[in-house]
Amino acid sequence: MDRGENAPMTSKHPEEHPTRVWPAEGDCRAPYWIYTDPAIYRRELERIFEGPTWSYVALECEIPHPGDYKRGSIGEKSVLIVRGEGGEVNGFLNRCAHRGVQLCQDESGHVREFMCPYHQWTYDLSGRLRGLPFLRGVKGQGGMPQDFELSDHGLTPIRIHVRRGAVFATLHEATPPFEDYLGEKILAFYDRVFDGRQLKLLGYSRQRLAANWKVMIENIRDTCHASLLHVFFVTFGLFRADQPSKVRMDDEGFHAALISERGRQELTDATRQIRSFKADLKLQDPRLLDTVREFPGDATVVMHTIWPNLILQQQSNTLATRQIVPRGPSEFDLHWTFFGYADDDEELTRRRLRQANLMGPGGLVSMDDGEIVARAQEGFRAGPDGASIAEMGGRDYTDSDHMVTDVALRAFYRGYRKVMGL
Amino acid sequence: MNSALALRDELEELYAEYCDVIDSGALERWPDLFVEPCLYRIVSKENWDKGLPLSLMLCESLGMLRDRAFASQKLNVYAPRTWRHSVTQIRAQADGDEIAARANFVIFETLHDRPTQILCAGRYLDKLVRSGTELRFREKICVYDSALIPGSIVFPI
Repeated sequence: MDRGENAPMTSKHPEEHPTRVWPAEGDCRAPYWIYTDPAIYRRELERIFEGPTWSYVALECEIPHPGDYKRGSIGEKSVLIVRGEGGEVNGFLNRCAHRGVQLCQDESGHVREFMCPYHQWTYDLSGRLRGLPFLRGVKGQGGMPQDFELSDHGLTPIRIHVRRGAVFATLHEATPPFEDYLGEKILAFYDRVFDGRQLKLLGYSRQRLAANWKVMIENIRDTCHASLLHVFFVTFGLFRADQPSKVRMDDEGFHAALISERGRQELTDATRQIRSFKADLKLQDPRLLDTVREFPGDATVVMHTIWPNLILQQQSNTLATRQIVPRGPSEFDLHWTFFGYADDDEELTRRRLRQANLMGPGGLVSMDDGEIVARAQEGFRAGPDGASIAEMGGRDYTDSDHMVTDVALRAFYRGYRKVMGL
Repeated sequence: MNSALALRDELEELYAEYCDVIDSGALERWPDLFVEPCLYRIVSKENWDKGLPLSLMLCESLGMLRDRAFASQKLNVYAPRTWRHSVTQIRAQADGDEIAARANFVIFETLHDRPTQILCAGRYLDKLVRSGTELRFREKICVYDSALIPGSIVFPI
């Protein structure tokens, strides 16, 4: 047998799986190996998370005062987001410049300066190395060489962009300006939630889910499932196929906004087809779903996916960012940050906190998602040879004026394949 | 019998019943252990320590407790599992007509094809009152230690 280019299994880099080819149906399919293959995952970290993308890392209201910091992530890399002396927002890798020790272990806190406990290298809020013990030695012995400059050994800085209260970070120098990155259409939805008002932090929920990170984003962009899996959405009309709905995306399909209006608990052409619809289900305490309109326009829910790591949720009066932190091909952490606006009255805050029962790791709706993504991952483990199907609503990528469609999934795969070279 | 010892027995019995109701899947009886008006919250220690008001679960009435119990039993979709509560170090102090009680909890979760894992550990910060002859919860705040939940919390804790 000719051992030339026709012998893919003897490749010098077997982990590259040269035999893996995207299914011929194109973006209507997602092969299961993209969710399980460690080589694919490594390429994702490099090209997507550490590539020319903006990762969501914080809300400004989490770090209101100089010296406030919080940890964030760019892919698997831990980063520190810090409010500087002048009120600016700074970002660094969470790593001492000396021996690589993780600088901050708490999720958030307040410091006057950062000091690594190992050898007490000390940095100011803008990441500059301010000093270290024994710099000039002890009793004339030891110390750093004469040409050692503190200014050469600060924390590794990260590019930060703040827009209307949310903080994004990138490790790549070619990342386009944030507003160009989102595109005009998605920026308008972003600005609908981040409308320039001061934000108010309500709290965090965090969960570790046994699934590939992409399954979470697909879960949001898969608009059909909301009408089928979630009894609460279906029955109480919070997000359902028969309601006026839209799918809007940027030109490349990396970001998406899934928009809908709340409907009633009634039998329709759609609800007749949905087994999870419960015509006679009544809440004993209806305050849970006692929502008020607070944004201009007809939409009562807009779910945004901002490439690559942010799900921005406006479901009735619950607002939250969901930050995805990948942890290998078959695990990710999901960090929920619930917020309101500084000018909310007590009643609106109460509604937000009450409706938060729908979301998070114990959410009456989101619990289903957390469980189903792990179940999907179990299915993928049965073998990488299969592929998921995304043909609802056709095979195109154009914005849709209904949600009975997989268009946001197809657009996702199209963009993903381009970046990944698959 | 010494009244402090009697109260201790009563509390032991109430907490045992509380855990049994959840672990045996008889969630429809869970609201019966509360009295109106009532408050039930699951809160991460992170939010609790920072004074952030968000709960992982929040029920502000018997109706909301019943809605949550019904959703857990009939509406939500999750992998089959077994829960086992362990409640220890119950301490109580009478405060007028109320009893303030604290206890530690650990929940062991067994998904049916997996080894048992610890779902969460934390403290109950409770207020109890007498309803007729029985002790019942007026308020139950479950503060869990690790902010990071493995998977989901599909039942009340």
